[in-house]
Amino acid sequence: MADIILKIAVVLIFFSIVFCVLRLVIGKTAVDRVVAIDLLTVVTISLVVLYAHISGRFVYVDVALVYGLLSFLAVLAIARFLERRP
Amino acid sequence: MVELLILLMCGGILASGVLAVVLGNLMAAMVSAGLASLFAAASYVLLAAPDVAMAEAAIGSGLSTLIFLYTIRKTGGGGAADD
Repeated sequence: MADIILKIAVVLIFFSIVFCVLRLVIGKTAVDRVVAIDLLTVVTISLVVLYAHISGRFVYVDVALVYGLLSFLAVLAIARFLERRP
Repeated sequence: MVELLILLMCGGILASGVLAVVLGNLMAAMVSAGLASLFAAASYVLLAAPDVAMAEAAIGSGLSTLIFLYTIRKTGGGGAADD
């Protein structure tokens, strides 16, 4: 049962990454691309945590932690830059 | 199943690298370069190198995006709002 749920989660993450990259490629404005990369960050964090659970190595959770803190900062800086621009 | 994810990550690195070169807008090119770094960090995790992935996430995705943004603001670039 748990194995099936994990496989479903991997498939969902796969399609989520594909659709986020599509949005980033065809995105008309810069705001679309920033939102797409923010969503990709969340999906990547969930992928790393899922892989830590599947492989049984819980060192990988630290990577997800560091990535969550830093990507938030980068997206915040981009948002302030877009706000200030005329 | 993990091999499929690694292949997806490698394709993502390739696509975002091409996108960062092709796009004319500086802002979109910067976001695409950050995306390449994101995919690289995820593929390092999948290839069992968590410390390299942590350094890539800290420097490549966080710090270099901030430095690019600071430089674009200082030089007054950024291009148009749309493509």
